[in-house]
Amino acid sequence: MTTFSLYSLPLVALILSLWSSIVIASPDYHENLQLHPLPQSSLLASFNFRSNTSQESFDQQHFRYLPRALGQILQHASTKELHLRFTTGRWDAESWGSRPWNGSKEGGTGVELWAWIDAPNDDEAFAKWITLTQSLSGLFCASLNFVDSTRTTRPVVSFEPFGDHSEVDQLHLLHGTLPGEVVCTENLTPFLKLLPCKGKAGISSLFDGHKLFDAAWQSMSVDIQPVCSPDGDCVVQIEQTVDMVLDIDRSKRSRSNPIPRPVPNDQLVCDTSKPYHSDDTCYPLEKTNDKAWSLTEVFGRTINGICPLAEVEGSGEQSVCLHVPHERGVFITEGAEEIKKDDGFTRCFNLASSGSFDLSIPKQLVNLEVPLDEPVLHAERTIVGNGQERGGMRIMFGNPSNISAVDFIYFETLPWFLRPYIHTLHATITGRDGISRELPASEIVKETYYRPAIDRERGTQLELSLSVPAASTVTLTYDFEKAILRYTEYPPDANRGFNVAPAVIRIVDNVHHAPIYLRSTSLLLQLPVPDFSMPYNVIILTSTVIALAFGTIFNILVRRVVSLDQASALGATTLKGRILSKVVAIRDRFRGKATKVE
Amino acid sequence: MPAAIRNLRSNPHFLFVRLPKLLSLLCIVVGVAWLLLLPLNEYSRRTYISENALLPGQVHAYFTGSEQNIFRGYKKELEGILNDETKDRAEVTAGYVSRGGHAEQLLILDRVSDKVQSIFEEAGLKFARQKYEYNSAGITHQGENSYAIIHAPRGDATEAIVLVAPWLTADDKLNLNGVTLALTLARYFKRWSLWSKDIIFLITPDSKTGTQAWIDAYHDMHPASVQPLPLKSGALQGALVIEYPLEHRFQTLHIVYDGVNGQLPNLDLFNTAVSIAGGQMGIGANLQEMWNHDDSYENRLQTMVRGMTKQGLGYATGAHSSFMPYHIDAITLQTKGEGWEDEMALGRTIESLCRSLNNLLEHLHQSFFFYLLMQSNRFVSIGTYLPSAMLLAGNFTIMAIALWMRTGYYPETKSVQTKGEKAPAEEKAKTSNIAERKLALPLSLVVGLHLLGLVPLWVFNNVSHQYFTTITFVVLGVDIILPLSLAAILSNGLGLSKPLIPQQYHLIKSFSLLLLGLSLSTLATLNFSLSFMIGLLCTPLSFMTRLQGAAPARLATSGLGLALLNLLSPPTVLLGVCWYTGVSVETVLTEAAFGWDVWGMWTQVVVWCVWWPAWLIGGVLLGSSIF
Repeated sequence: MTTFSLYSLPLVALILSLWSSIVIASPDYHENLQLHPLPQSSLLASFNFRSNTSQESFDQQHFRYLPRALGQILQHASTKELHLRFTTGRWDAESWGSRPWNGSKEGGTGVELWAWIDAPNDDEAFAKWITLTQSLSGLFCASLNFVDSTRTTRPVVSFEPFGDHSEVDQLHLLHGTLPGEVVCTENLTPFLKLLPCKGKAGISSLFDGHKLFDAAWQSMSVDIQPVCSPDGDCVVQIEQTVDMVLDIDRSKRSRSNPIPRPVPNDQLVCDTSKPYHSDDTCYPLEKTNDKAWSLTEVFGRTINGICPLAEVEGSGEQSVCLHVPHERGVFITEGAEEIKKDDGFTRCFNLASSGSFDLSIPKQLVNLEVPLDEPVLHAERTIVGNGQERGGMRIMFGNPSNISAVDFIYFETLPWFLRPYIHTLHATITGRDGISRELPASEIVKETYYRPAIDRERGTQLELSLSVPAASTVTLTYDFEKAILRYTEYPPDANRGFNVAPAVIRIVDNVHHAPIYLRSTSLLLQLPVPDFSMPYNVIILTSTVIALAFGTIFNILVRRVVSLDQASALGATTLKGRILSKVVAIRDRFRGKATKVE
Repeated sequence: MPAAIRNLRSNPHFLFVRLPKLLSLLCIVVGVAWLLLLPLNEYSRRTYISENALLPGQVHAYFTGSEQNIFRGYKKELEGILNDETKDRAEVTAGYVSRGGHAEQLLILDRVSDKVQSIFEEAGLKFARQKYEYNSAGITHQGENSYAIIHAPRGDATEAIVLVAPWLTADDKLNLNGVTLALTLARYFKRWSLWSKDIIFLITPDSKTGTQAWIDAYHDMHPASVQPLPLKSGALQGALVIEYPLEHRFQTLHIVYDGVNGQLPNLDLFNTAVSIAGGQMGIGANLQEMWNHDDSYENRLQTMVRGMTKQGLGYATGAHSSFMPYHIDAITLQTKGEGWEDEMALGRTIESLCRSLNNLLEHLHQSFFFYLLMQSNRFVSIGTYLPSAMLLAGNFTIMAIALWMRTGYYPETKSVQTKGEKAPAEEKAKTSNIAERKLALPLSLVVGLHLLGLVPLWVFNNVSHQYFTTITFVVLGVDIILPLSLAAILSNGLGLSKPLIPQQYHLIKSFSLLLLGLSLSTLATLNFSLSFMIGLLCTPLSFMTRLQGAAPARLATSGLGLALLNLLSPPTVLLGVCWYTGVSVETVLTEAAFGWDVWGMWTQVVVWCVWWPAWLIGGVLLGSSIF
């Protein structure tokens, strides 16, 4: 034992020194908060946490920034790249412009998971995928274990790996969604635990479940992928983001009095220029966008120093940035330093390493607005038609650009009980003038990847490669039929309808090269629902009938008529009596047979 | 008892002729008596909330205080625009009401809906418009819906509730308070973060066409003359219509719930409204225009009959009716009377109702969809009332089956034997109880007359409205001439065919009654009231037959019978009802044509393809006794 340790000591030292040298070479934990005030008194807060672990230490299970719990799951399930999304609400592109991170860090409503798994064949990949979902389900307290074969798809063109993968790996992409999953604080707690500072220090100290899940839209994401530098050094990168759009008015309400009661008469903001304006008549003036707010008011907390692990001396990185015009006054806590960027709208803050940091924006009339990016594509998907038997899907793609066409890939997974008729796929194109014309779907749809559903085994997978001409709206419609489920397949809230997962749209942007992702809202599909009390009525009725019939027949078959003295012998408790009774019983059996023959 | 049965067997006349008549009569009497029993405490039930999630009246409604100032502000603003257009307020109202002034109405609404748009958008809602146009009976109905959506603060557009405020109420009154209330509520609701469903505020130009155009387009089922909706939300869970056409405070709420084709909203929605209005807000709730309901038998019966009339006629009773075919439960809240409840009380009622609907986890499904209400808290469900209409329909089926058996087993003693005479005597003795049925002519006559019903159906739905009165009288004339001429042709043959034998008359009647019984019993499960009404009006048809006997008495009886039968013909009933209620025939038929064209109302199909053919055949049978 001693010899072993003696011999191995230099080895350990070597490994340690190697490891520490890597750590020093890439001090790899970054955290960053971007605050964008949006129109209609909203505030977009984008939190980003990124850390790297070298591939070697990952393989040797040396975990520093990468959480061990997650790392081991990935190794166990041979997962090379993982993307997990928790999303609630909807992004209002009309008011808020294009999506944060170009939509690449968000998922559809509920939970969305996709991963590249290294496996020799499809079946093993799926088995590992099930292992992965089961483990993640436990780790994130989400119902990911319900991602079964009917909810799993293998998209062909909609997703591409972000990471750099070695060519020897046989990677399989698997994708699963849970549109009905309600994302809540129980998912936030394990999410925070993955962070090095665990929500105690740095920007993650702003997370408060009450505020986060009161947001009009919020998305939490976990991405793990290998990233290689050109010289061949590979790191495993974990990136966690939280994006949320808070309603400033709503967030500023105190928690003790959250009810938006009507304001007292004297606090009404009225348009006094109206001729009818008086004490009891008020045409309200809606407040402008330049609302006063502070971190404490909006998040209910202050930033608790900076996370020591992210502390990089002199690297010029700031962890908190605010996007408002420079002319706007911003008050910050003493000790922090404000750095204005050249673009005229961005200012970042160097936080003091300890002590709380707060930021407050006073009410100020500003003419300049931070320009919003126009979304590249508008998409809307709805279920149309009525009745319990059939329905239709209508998908609208609007191209706001007047110059260029938009090329994109539309990907949707449909549950097996929604049976689309792909031959009914029709396209209508509407110009700005409002005149719409039918055209064959083949003119709009360039390529189709379609995998039909198998009842109770897998859902429909449809990937369309589309192009929408400039300044026009394309409407795709197709009909579908609703399957009738087995009685036990209905969930307890069958009358609510069944969730249909949001469609994913991947826009191939030739300018940025990075793809832009959009997701439609999820849908509710009403299926024919039986009267659930009826089976019980049937059960009760048949049981009664069977009980009556069976009871009578059984009674006739087993009842034995005996004389009084025989009965007393049957009822005897002594040994003699018992023997006698057996004798009587046996005799009766023979006799019974004899009489029956007669 | 066995003796009685044996007696019955040996007396085929009683078995095939007397007994069915007795049974039919019994069915009719019991059916009608059944209906009359329903209002009694023993047969009706108190209403109750089935869906636990609704929790009516469990939340405090905060819509008070300074919101009223904003209500007044919005109202003045809208009023100002309306007054700007035409200085005289009365003229504006007249402009809205007059059916001819549609172009003018649209112009005014354009201006107003610009204001509505700016109010909605300032409050932070998404706004869109939809133009539509309908043509029916030569009248063009056009208008523009405006609607705005509050996105559920944390929701994702899977479910939505609709609040409708039509500019014109169901009684064609200007609903300025209702629209203003919708605008104020929109601004107020926007501040709440508890909504789990989107809330859609729909402002329609009137109560007849607007919601229909909107809901059709929402489900992409709209005709080409209706624009598609640019903005949509999720599956609609319920709809409330606000009507406050009064210029003073109101006393009670009148809840209107009847849908197109007699479809009804889930009873839970009605109960929630009653419970919130009565229990939480202390506002009385009325239904079926029964203002002084003292819960007596007479009042209950009257309420029920009024409800059945609306259900039977199947027309849209308000803006809410159009939602029903899409399985969206909807009611209209109308303010009535002069009392001390103001618009804020109505606003709080709606707030509380929206909170209840917001609680729903599933589509309303727990409670009854088929019911008859006889007081705001008393109802009978389908299981209790259905036998009544089924018995009425059953009387025709019993008669039809009896006639069918009679034609097979019981040759007429006095009949003119056509084939039987030629048959050898001994064979005749053997088969005296079995006769061959001659089906061709009876079948083709019955089918032909039913197909003939498509002609008035087409005519009444396709000609211009000014001809409706004339055509009604033409149909009245046809009703007198057609049965008589048919009877003449059938009885005398007129060289075209051989005269009909009695068996064929029985077969005609049998087929006709069989179809009538079948249609009515099916209809009873869909629209009980319509089935009951038609069944009641058709009861004499069970007893129509070719009379026998001496000429003068026979002619007199059949003439009198025909005259009486004509009093029960569809056009006469229509004229009679119009005369009684004081509504012009043209109005009724215009509404019916509109219902067919826009609402998808099926009442006319039942009248012209079920009732009218059956009535014609009754007339033919009775008329044949003249010839």
